[in-house]
This record gives sequence, C-alpha cells and structure tokens, in this order.
Amino acid sequence: TSISNKQYLGIDPRDLSYYKSDVIKCINGSKKFTREQLNDEFCDCPDGTDEPGTSACPEGKFYCQNAGHIPLKIFSSRVNDGICDCCDGSDEYDGNANCPNTCWEAGKAARERLKKKIETFKEGIVARKKEIEKAKEAYTKDEAELAKLKSDEKMLKELVQKLKEQKERIEKLEQEERLKKEKEEKRLREEEEKSKEQEEKAEESQQHSTDSSHEQEILMDSHDREIESRNDDVTKTESAASDAVEQENVDSGAISDDAEGLSKEELGRLVASRWTGQEASEKKDIIGNVEEDQVSHDPDEHYGYNSETEENRAKYDEDDRANYDEDNFEDDQEDEYEDDNAVSDGSYIPDQYEKTGSADTTDTSNPSWFGKIQRTVQNVLHAFNFFKTPVNVSEAAHIRKEYEESNSKLSRVQSKVSSLSEKLKHDFGKEKEFYLFYDHCFESKQNKYVYKICPFKQASQVEGHSTTRLGSWDKFEESYRVMLFSNGDRCWNGPDRSLKVRLRCGVKNEVSDVDEPSRCEYLAFMSTPSVCLEDKLKELEQKLGQLTTMQPQNHDEL
Amino acid sequence: WKKDEFRNCNQTPFCKRARFRAPHSLPHYAVSDLAISEGHLKARLLPWRPSVDPVNDAGDPPRSLLLLLSVYQGGVLRLKIDEDYSAPSAPSKKRFEVPDVVLPDLEDRRLWLPRFFSAEDGAATSFYLSDGFEGFLRHDPFEIEVRREGSKDPVVSLNSHGLFDFEQLRQKTEGEDWEERFRGHTDTRPYGPQSISFDVSFHGAEFVYGIPEHASTSLALRPTKGPGVEESEPYRLFNLDVFEYLDDSAFGIYGSIPFMLSHSLKSSSGFFWLNSAEMQIDVLAPGWDNSTASDKSRIDTFWMSEAGILDAFFFVGPGPKDVLRQYASVTGTLAMPQEFAIAYHQCRWNYRDEEDVASVDASFDEHDIPYDVLWLDIEHTDGKRYFTWDRVLFPNPEEMQKKLAAKGRHMVTIVDPHIKRDDSYHVHKEASEKGYYVKDATGKDFDGWCWSGSSSYPDMLNPEIREWWADKFSLNNYGGSTPSLYIWNDMNEPSVFNGPEITMTRDAVHYGGIEHREMHNAYGYYFHMATANGLLKRGNGNDRPFVLSRAFFAGSQRYGAIWTGDNTADWDHLKASVPMVLTLGLTGISFSGADVGGFFGNPEPELLVRWYQLGAFYPFFRAHAHHDTRRREPWLLGSLAAEGELYVDDGKSYNFEHGAYIHRRFIFSDHKLTSYDLHSPPNVGLKKFTSGCTVERIILLGLPSGAEKAVIEPGNFKADIELGPLTLRAATSSVAPTIRKPNVRIADNWSIKVL
Repeated sequence: TSISNKQYLGIDPRDLSYYKSDVIKCINGSKKFTREQLNDEFCDCPDGTDEPGTSACPEGKFYCQNAGHIPLKIFSSRVNDGICDCCDGSDEYDGNANCPNTCWEAGKAARERLKKKIETFKEGIVARKKEIEKAKEAYTKDEAELAKLKSDEKMLKELVQKLKEQKERIEKLEQEERLKKEKEEKRLREEEEKSKEQEEKAEESQQHSTDSSHEQEILMDSHDREIESRNDDVTKTESAASDAVEQENVDSGAISDDAEGLSKEELGRLVASRWTGQEASEKKDIIGNVEEDQVSHDPDEHYGYNSETEENRAKYDEDDRANYDEDNFEDDQEDEYEDDNAVSDGSYIPDQYEKTGSADTTDTSNPSWFGKIQRTVQNVLHAFNFFKTPVNVSEAAHIRKEYEESNSKLSRVQSKVSSLSEKLKHDFGKEKEFYLFYDHCFESKQNKYVYKICPFKQASQVEGHSTTRLGSWDKFEESYRVMLFSNGDRCWNGPDRSLKVRLRCGVKNEVSDVDEPSRCEYLAFMSTPSVCLEDKLKELEQKLGQLTTMQPQNHDEL
Repeated sequence: WKKDEFRNCNQTPFCKRARFRAPHSLPHYAVSDLAISEGHLKARLLPWRPSVDPVNDAGDPPRSLLLLLSVYQGGVLRLKIDEDYSAPSAPSKKRFEVPDVVLPDLEDRRLWLPRFFSAEDGAATSFYLSDGFEGFLRHDPFEIEVRREGSKDPVVSLNSHGLFDFEQLRQKTEGEDWEERFRGHTDTRPYGPQSISFDVSFHGAEFVYGIPEHASTSLALRPTKGPGVEESEPYRLFNLDVFEYLDDSAFGIYGSIPFMLSHSLKSSSGFFWLNSAEMQIDVLAPGWDNSTASDKSRIDTFWMSEAGILDAFFFVGPGPKDVLRQYASVTGTLAMPQEFAIAYHQCRWNYRDEEDVASVDASFDEHDIPYDVLWLDIEHTDGKRYFTWDRVLFPNPEEMQKKLAAKGRHMVTIVDPHIKRDDSYHVHKEASEKGYYVKDATGKDFDGWCWSGSSSYPDMLNPEIREWWADKFSLNNYGGSTPSLYIWNDMNEPSVFNGPEITMTRDAVHYGGIEHREMHNAYGYYFHMATANGLLKRGNGNDRPFVLSRAFFAGSQRYGAIWTGDNTADWDHLKASVPMVLTLGLTGISFSGADVGGFFGNPEPELLVRWYQLGAFYPFFRAHAHHDTRRREPWLLGSLAAEGELYVDDGKSYNFEHGAYIHRRFIFSDHKLTSYDLHSPPNVGLKKFTSGCTVERIILLGLPSGAEKAVIEPGNFKADIELGPLTLRAATSSVAPTIRKPNVRIADNWSIKVL
C-alpha cells in the first residue's frame, strides 16, 4: 500500500481500508463524512477521524511512517506548526518549515539502544530465574525453620514453665526461712533489749537488723532501679520530644518576640527562614565567616537536590527513551547473592539483621541444642531436694540460672519466630522474586549523601553522622515496578518524607539516581533482574523486528 | 502573618494624629491672591487661627501655602498644594514631588484657563473644566469641588469637612524629640513632622473601588470607620513584603496606587493623589461625623500621608470607562504585551537545573498542553548574585533557552534589587565604586539583609542609575542570556529582612537628598521601569519588554505585568484573587494575575483545578509554588476536569490590527489541559493600548446590564462543583490556535455570554 496520496496523509497504513468507502463514519460513531471531506482542513468529526493529516481537529492524531525508525502518532496540533516532530518530516508539508529526513540516523541509534536493551533483558532474565530459584529455596527453608522454631518454642515454653514453678517454690521456701530468721532475730533482740538496756548495745543490735534487711533492699532496689531507669528512658524520650516541640514553638515565637534582641544579621536570617524553611536554630552557628556560611546556609541546602549536581540526575519519566540512554547494563555481571555480602555492588546485609540472625541461627540449627537443654533441666530438677531446709544456696542459684538462661533462650526463639513470621507475611512478588531483597540493603552515594534502601524495612539518607529517615516500607506499587517507603521523618513546614524506588531491568541490583523532585518526596531508580520479564523482552524484540524490516532498502545495514 | 511586626495606625504617629480629629476642629486655610498665571489658577492659602493652638505653638507660626489648579483635556482637574519656598522663613528642604509618573506629554494636553468666575457673591470662584463640568473653589474655608454645570451638583470635593491639615517643615525646637522607634528600629526623622491629610467626598456614589494593594474578598471598598465598623483600621498604602498575608485585610501589601474610583448607576468619578510616602485612607461609613441627616448618596473618605506634597487629580467621569480613560491620560495605558506574555506561564521555586527544565518542557509536549514561558526563581543564580548562573546546575543557559525558543517558548529569570555585598561580584563592585547605592542616615551605603545576605540597593530614583541598571540587561552584560529571555522583578518593595517592617529604613537617603519615607511606595516602580527599559535597550526598541514586578505604583502598567505576590493555597485566597486582580485592572494595571494554585501550601486537587479554571481569566496567567510544596504541574492533576474560556473581543478599544484578538481559551478535561491561546497583533516594537480600559472590561464594564453583579460576586467556588458561573463561552465553537499553531482562521463574530 502506498500512502503517498496526499488525501490519505496522516493515516496509519493499517487503518487505510477504513477510509476507502465514499462515506466514512467518525470512529466514535457521532457523524459521517464523505471522502472529499477527508483532510479538507475542516473538522467534521469531534474525534478527529476526518482530519488525520491536518491540524483542524484538536483531538486528532497524525501518523508518521518514519521509515527507518519507529512510526509515531503525534498530536494534530503539531502538524504544520513550524517544528519538525516526525523524523521523516511528514508533519511539516506546507512549506513553512524545512524538515530533512533524519530517520535513518535516528533509527540506527534507536536500534543500537534497543539491541543493547534486549541484551540486558536476556541476561537479566537468566539472572532472574536463578534468583527465583534461590528465593524459593530460601523461602522453603525459612518456612521449615519457622515451623521447627514454633515447635521448639512450644516445648521450651513448657520447660521454662517447669523451671519457673521450681524457682518459685525455692523462693517461697527462702522467704519462709527468712521470715523465720527474722522472727528469731527479733526475739533475740527483744531478749537482749530486756536483758541489757544500755543504749550502745541497743544501737548495735539495730545495726545488725538493718544489715540483714539491707540486703533485701539492695535486691529490691536494683529491681526498682531497673524499672525506674526504663521509665526514665521513656520519660526522657518523651520530654525530649516535647522539648523539641517546645523548642520549635519558642523558635517560631522568637521571630516576633525576641527580634529586638538579635543582631541585624540574625534578624535578617530569621526572617528569610520563613520563606526558606531554614530552621531558626541554625542561626546560632551562622555568625562567623560570612562568606562561608552564606554558602552553607543558602536555602538550596534545604532542598537537597539543589546542591546535588552530578550528571546522573534522576529522570522523572522512566520511558523507553530514557532507558536507551542507560548504558550501565554493560557492567560486569555479578550475582551478588553468590558473593558473601556483596558489598562490592552497594548491597549488604545490615548489621542488626546479621546479629539477630547469626547467634540464634547457629544455635537453633544445631540438632543437639534442644535435647541438651532438656537434659540439663531434668538433671537440675532431679538434683534438687525440696524438702531440705535450709535451702541449699548453690542449688537455688543453679535453678535460678537455668531458669534465666532458658527463659532468655525462649525469648530469643520467640523473637526469631515473630521476626520470621513478620518476614513471611510480606508480599514478595508473584514468583517470590523479591524474597532475597529482604535481608539486603542497597546503597547509593550522591555527592555528600549516602542513600540506604532496605526493602521491606526502611530507607534513609545519611550525611556524615546524621541520618534522616526517608520512610518505612509501605508496599509495592504499579505491579511491582515501584517500591514505596512512607512516613519518614517530618519535613519542616512540609510533609513526612517518602521515597519511591522505580525498578528497571538490569543484570544486577543497583541503585542509580536518587532525587527529590518535590520537597521531601524522594525518587530513586534501581536496576534489578527481578523485573526483567519475558513478555517485555518479546515486546522489545518485536519492536526491533519492526525497526529492521522497515528500513529503507537502500540502507541495508545487516 | 506576623501582625506585631507591622505598624497599625495607632503606632504610626502621623496617622494617629490625623485620624481622630473632629471635622472643622483645626485652624483652617482661606483663599487669597487668586490669579490666572500661565493658564493655571493660582492662589495663596492663608492660615487662619481663631485662637492659640497649643499643638502648633511649639514651632514657627504657619506660613501660607501655595495652591495651583490646572485643567487637562478630557475632564481632569489637578490640584497642587505645597509650601511657599519663597517665604522668608521657608525651609531649605523641598518636599518631594514624585517624578516620572505623570505622562511627559500631559503638559501638552493642558487647557489654558483664560479666566475664572466669581460665584456665591464672591465667596467662591468657578472655572471651566470640561463639557458639562466646572471646577469650583470655595474661599473660606477653602474647599475644592468638581461639579456639574447647570445643576451645580457636586461630583467630587476636597475639604468639605474641614479636615485639611498640612504639617509644614519647621525648625526643631529645643527639647523636642523627632525620633520614632518601632521594634528596635530608630527612625531619626531629621525633618520632623510633615504629614498631609484631608477629606475627599464622592457625591452620588454608592460604591468606591481602587487603592490597591490589599487582600480582600470584596471589590467595593468596605467602610473602615464610623457606625457599624468593628475593627477600625484605615486602608494602608505602604509597599511591604508580608509573609503569608491574610486574605481579607486593610493592611497594605506589595504595591500602592492612591487612586480611588466611585461608582453608582448614575455616575462615576475618580480621585488620584500622586504621593509616594506612606498613606492611610479611611472610607467613612455614613454617620461617621455624627451628622443626623446622614447623606447615603455620598461616600466620604479621609486621606493621610506621612510626607510629600498634595498633588491630586480629580476625574469627572461620568461613566466608569471615562474615569479609567481620564486616569490613563495622566498615568498612561498598558504597554502592549508580547503574544507569549499573555499565554500560560509555568513557574516554580525552583526548576532546579537544566535537566529539570528539559523534563518539564517535554512533559508539556507529551501531554499536549500549550505553555509559552518557563520561569527560573532565585536558585538559578550563583549565590543570589543576579545576572549570574549557578554554573553547576545551569552549565549551558544559552543552549537551554535556545531549545525552548526553537519551540516558540521563552524563559524568564528573576532579578531582584538587593545586590550582594561581595567585592568579587561585578554589579556590587561597580555600584559601590560609582556610589550608586541608596545611603543610610549616616551617609554610608545602606546595608540590609535579603536573599543574598548582606545587600545594598541601587538608587532607582536617579535616572543615571536607572540607565546603568538598564545596561546590565544587554546580551553582553548579562552572561548566559539570549533574546528570548525576559525578566521577573521580585522583592522590590524593597524587601529588607532585617529592616523595620521588613523594608528599608525611612531615613535612608536617595538621589537629591530625598528621604526613603518620601519615595518608598515608588521604589519598586522605578526598579521595574529601569528593568523594562533595559530589555527595550537590549532589543534596540524593536522587542517589547516583558517584566513582571511584585511592587508597583501608579503608572506601573507602562512597564509590565504585576502579580499579587505570595498568596496561599486555600479557597479564601482563590476568592480574594478576583477582587484583587480586578482592583488592579481598575487602577490601570490591567496586566495582572495571582499565582495559580497558591504560592504557600499544597492545594487540594479540586482547588487546583478551580484555580486553573479561574486563572485562565487572569490577564496574567502564571502557576507558581513555594519550594516546600509538592510538584503540581498541570499533568499531575489526574482525572479531575475543569473548563474555562475567555474571549475578549476588540478592535476598538485596544486599537488592534484588524482580525486580532486578545483571546484565551483554557480547557482541562479528559486528563489533560488545553489552552487555546491567544492571538494578538504581530510583534511590533513599542505598541500601547490606546485606551485605559481594562482587559476585564467584558466582565465589569462591557456588559450593558447586570455587570456589577457578575464582577462583585464571583460565587462560592467550592460549592459550584458544576462548571457554572465562571464559564464564559463564545457563541461559536470554532477552533482557535495554540501558540504552536499560529495560522488557523479565527471566526470574527465572537460575542460574550455569561452562562
């Protein structure tokens, strides 16, 4: 089919047959028009059916064939507007703009990019399969472990219960003994008092009695103190928080109230801070080198992105064109999960998870572990003679120790159960392809900031020793193309921070750009094999096929 | 809003002194030595003192004042009252007469008065003013009236209530303290009290409008004093950078135009006081003077200014359009904007780098949303040194502008008046070496704090300095600029973060020994003027400038657009923007708008859609947002739909070329925003609208009846979920062009209908 006929300008060749009859319907069915009315620069169909090749209908679309490149549909407002939109120049035919055909050059570049992208996808898909296998293995293992832990937990609970009962018995006996002793002492004291009424003696006996109760006090004390100190912590945090609030109030109040006590410069900065959101507290370290602190206290600082100036800035639209431009897929392929902690590519297992993991895991994975405890407990229980008074001090201590150890073991097992259940509750993707992300964090350094992204957990921005929480794990969005972290640290005069991580296909897990397109709303890009899908590859291959077959004959590249 | 940081009338001594005087309680002035001189009517005002006045007794005895009445074509009467500098005890300091506001050719349009007539048995004098109107001067106490010939009905009058007062310059007496203190700032006031106050009555008026800039939800000015007024505070005219201004307050914000219009179905009139010192104006409720027979067909007003002279214009009307034309004959008509300037502008504090700019630009195309101008706020500069670029964020500004220009788009960068005091900064170096900065009371360069830290301010009152400033905009001097770059003047009130009331100290000294207090309200005007002239020079007079300014004064319409400053993203501010923009239009500034979406805060989606819908009706149509707000470019609106259309027909009042229209159509529907943009005459150098009429006249003035209703009650936006009262449609539905599609026919029978 030839679309050189001017009347059929702007029509997709696949739709040509639609325009062959003498009377043509508007595609939305609203009206009819004759073939003479096709592309006559007068809009008959509100949907633009009758003016595919002109700008007469605002809703219309113009099809450019772009032989050698990708065909394109452009808004009708671009037709004959003096700007070359189609690489074949077909959108500018009224002679007011000279649009050379650039499709061959542009198409060649597009094909190169597409080929590269297809390579990435192919490698990515292989990597993804491996990962999914590993993920499934790990998932099964975790499930099995959870089941085992749960049964251990149950039995351990019973043991602990037994020990607890024994411990309480002992304590009861001790208590009785103590009361008896006290009574005895009291009786002795009274006798002494009666027999010897000298003050010194009385004092001495007093001393004696306090000594013994003193011991108890110490016990009580340390317990109380513990509680107290825990309470203290709570109140401390609370009061710190309320301090902060107060501080804030004071600061904002200070603008109007304490203005007179400020130097001219402080006042200027304080007033400027209303617009910029610069915290008033910063004013304190401002005074000094004017030149330097103008640099460091510019309002740009407060929206980090202004001072971030690397070339690899974030793209807002992860469209295909943007992807073509990425050449970071060429990097050596490395499966981070085969490396121990895979620190080399910016991913690592964070300390805190390592700790909770390793200590217990080595223990619980040891088959003899549970039996050992059981045996110890049995021995202890047997060895203890409940009818013997006074209580054997070393035996009592032994029971206590066993109880405490088993109890703490139990709580470790319990916390492991809960953390593992917590982990397994998450949505790891249709094929659990994100399972291995759980215990990994990914880092990216952008100028002075290091961004730490821990999927399913949290994300943060680290600058030197200060860490800003960008958000806690929220969910996947856009069918696993986006990881969302929300409810991060609150912004001054702004929203809670949040981070979106856009995922794109790559052979390894890597965070590239991090950006803050809106105040305190961050956007990062991460390449990962997890999103290298077969369907998408087919689509790309199809596109490449199209590009290749539509090459003009005289430019056979292959 | 930090109320305590700004003075109210009671904290402003001249206002406090004048405001609570009873009518006719002052020593009054009587006319003598009446004569015609060079076509003016001249007289001497003699102070008449019935008894010893304890207040004025402190200083020299009052001298007589000089009165000058002049008549101009088209129904304009000018009254000047100033000191008699030829008197033996006259002050050496001359009071400030605001230069360069009145059109230079006004004098050519002066009517040469040949004679005057005695009236009321010699107690008064009348003279010709225009067909159907006469000027009238009552002698003792003196009173000026514009009145109808024949019926003798007064239209506008001055000093009918005997509140005229003129604090003459005098020597400080021993022990007298002239200093004024406010919140730790001291105003040395070396020349002492010098305020002027008087009453003006608009006869037959039902409403008065004008005297921007105040945030208000009402177009008509509400009474500020008298029966029924609860919080009594006069309208203040004092250009200030007010953080988070209220949506409804008599408080003065960024600009000042001391021009008031009166209106009733019978007649309209106007009064303009050319004075750039702090002004306070009361609109008095009927019965304010305790008169029992309160005349409800008259509106009395009371005007007070801290300094300057009385140089006032009376406009006879009789129609509202006549008043606008008469005012424009004195202060000028709107400079013809370029086509792109009346299209949609996209701004944000800040589009942060070249990639951001490219991405925003590409998104407009991707969504087929026409826009014409992309704006860069202060962060594009190297450390707030204007005329420079942050070369890390903007390594190739020329290329960036050329890319936009290739699509017919323009860029606007910000240039503020605070110059960073940094010796390595060429603008500062030059300005300080040449002595071009405003001086403080001690004679040193005034040093205040603004975005650039410690800063000084070029003295824009000086024509030589304005020329120097204008040259900064040449393509050579402004590195990284291209011919498609235009300018935004912000902070030109001027804003001084550590100054009294966030502005310059009143005792700072300008060109010719003029104190800042005398010219404060015009500083931004001169800055705007110098910038616009800079762009004009850059294009050798062939490229119409576009300069947006925040501060303004009477006459600013000759230099560019004005916007209503840092508004807030809430419904009340949306509502207030309508009377604010209309008031600007009524006082000559017809190229104005409010920040679409609201500058501070995040608008809820419906508010944003409504704001776009309304914004299409602002003559100046720009979206802007604070850096703390979420991104809100129109394609981020999601699925909400709104539609607004505005057509302004013309060919008559704007003297457009045949077939040219100011025309804007704006649609947001079906997930996208479309603005079929306007068509205006081809780029011809220095065109001007030949009428003082406003763009909004279709709403206010162009409709034969029911017009007031359409303007004054814009409706409850939030309640009107249906696209109702704001939608103006053309009678035909032909397609109009976007700026990218310039050659499509426009039907020629637009008519306006309020739906």
